Amino acid sequence: MADNSADKPTKDVKLPRSSKGARSRFFDDPAIDQIMTFLLELMAETNALRERADTIERLLDEKGTINRDEIEAYRPDAECEAERSAWSQAFIQRVMRFHEPD
Amino acid sequence: MVSTSDALFAHKNSGIPDIEELPHSNLEERGRQRFCSALRRFAIQEMPEMVRKDFDQRVAPAHKAKGELIGDAVAIEEVMKGEASYRFYSTLRYNAQEMCFQSVQEPIERALPEMIDVAKAAVQRNPAGGSLRLNPEMPIPPYVSQLDVHLTPGCFHNEWVEDDVAQGAVVSLGARVFSASMNHRSWGGVAKVVSRWLKHERPDFAPVRILDIGTSSAKNLMPYAEAFPDSEAHGVDVAAPLLRYGHAVAEHEGIAIHLSQQNAEALDFPEGHFDLIVSSFFFHEITVDATRNVLRECRRLLRPGGVMVHQELPATCLVDAWEDFFWNWDTEHNNEPNYTSFRAQDPAVLLEEAGFGPDENFAQLLPDIGTYPERAEAFGWDEPGRPRHGKGAWYVFGSSLPS
Ligand SMILES: C[S@@+](CC[C@H](N)C(=O)[O-])C[C@H]1O[C@@H](n2cnc3c(N)ncnc32)[C@H](O)[C@@H]1O
Repeated sequence: MADNSADKPTKDVKLPRSSKGARSRFFDDPAIDQIMTFLLELMAETNALRERADTIERLLDEKGTINRDEIEAYRPDAECEAERSAWSQAFIQRVMRFHEPD
Repeated sequence: MVSTSDALFAHKNSGIPDIEELPHSNLEERGRQRFCSALRRFAIQEMPEMVRKDFDQRVAPAHKAKGELIGDAVAIEEVMKGEASYRFYSTLRYNAQEMCFQSVQEPIERALPEMIDVAKAAVQRNPAGGSLRLNPEMPIPPYVSQLDVHLTPGCFHNEWVEDDVAQGAVVSLGARVFSASMNHRSWGGVAKVVSRWLKHERPDFAPVRILDIGTSSAKNLMPYAEAFPDSEAHGVDVAAPLLRYGHAVAEHEGIAIHLSQQNAEALDFPEGHFDLIVSSFFFHEITVDATRNVLRECRRLLRPGGVMVHQELPATCLVDAWEDFFWNWDTEHNNEPNYTSFRAQDPAVLLEEAGFGPDENFAQLLPDIGTYPERAEAFGWDEPGRPRHGKGAWYVFGSSLPS
């Protein structure tokens, strides 16, 4: 039986964003664990911004002029999906430039 | 306004809409999801090679020079856990796991009322002829409820509203984000691999009833129903939101499956009810005691001439120290506390304890369909160039009963 069934709202469910259980820490200073989360979230935002810019550029190429609804409604075809996935992978490779072991 | 369910009932003969298509991600969300896919791929495919290189070329030689032996997974972890390479690998993997689920939560929240309506319509109409049997009184085992397994916030079983499907959607769609850029994992991959192998090994095998334990949303049950279309396919799980969601998907797909909310340690089916019993990604999430109970249930439920195949993580005794170390990461960091102790068991011993015969018991690596489209036959453990589990092969263990 689910332990939280008592007071169930009928709409606007807000799902929990963090997991039950202690969070793993990998660095001696927990601030570094936190900074890594900030960094990766920032990269996710950058990726999303890049997709927006890419959408605008593609639509401009196609039509010359566009509006906001068209940007939101744009659905990439398979080729564009593949290009964007490749961009995301290359983006991670560029940012995650690990130092060579000494 | 006409609710979705009223609209659905007005069209009695139309199909059930695809519940998976209801959450709509906007441009920002899709951009973040793509990043999460790529990050997870990087963290689990590329980083491990870098960590391995660091171990082989720098860390291990330094310890050997001091005369220290690094013989097993525990020793490897001991020397690696302070190294930068391992810490960054771990933090990327951990954050990627969290971010995959978070990236689908908002679209799911927006679509939830509609998804619930679709799941309810599927239950009332069952156009494919499947069924859903829930038991709200069934206690959730503590090994499921004590931690959010896989870092899925809300785990499998939690319900936030009446007739909830939210966790079913988070688990299914989160897994899609996970695997979007992984080439060796396709939907229902395991079930397709195992059914191809079964047909190759036993061309005459025609199961009347199939059971999938810990079926979640039946992703790895539906392909069996398709591979053996004359059989009756059953799936059990303890988590109602996953079962509701899976039932809606199956009814949409037109695949008849029978899902019930039950603890696999004590099922309500009669003895000898099934010809084929399967599971995937299941045992490592439950305690070793529960594993013994479930295997005994399988023995009771399997009919003479029946076959049992469980896909799992390879046991410690079947892999080298590095691979052992690599798999056990999840024990502590992916909220799967039983992972290491399950893998420490010898599958042959577990099967014998449950009453299966040593001559019938097996532990095999089966070729993945995507990587090996032409090969159905299992790999030999010492076959040169054989892939390892998760990289072109799937580990399974199981048994059969003489007819
Ligand atoms: C990783 S998931 C399985 C995934 C699924 N087989 C697939 O291939 O997609 C493990 C599932 O086992 C279920 N489970 C855990 N303990 C159980 C038990 N004692 N009886 C039945 N189901 C259980 C969980 O609710 C969860 O859905």
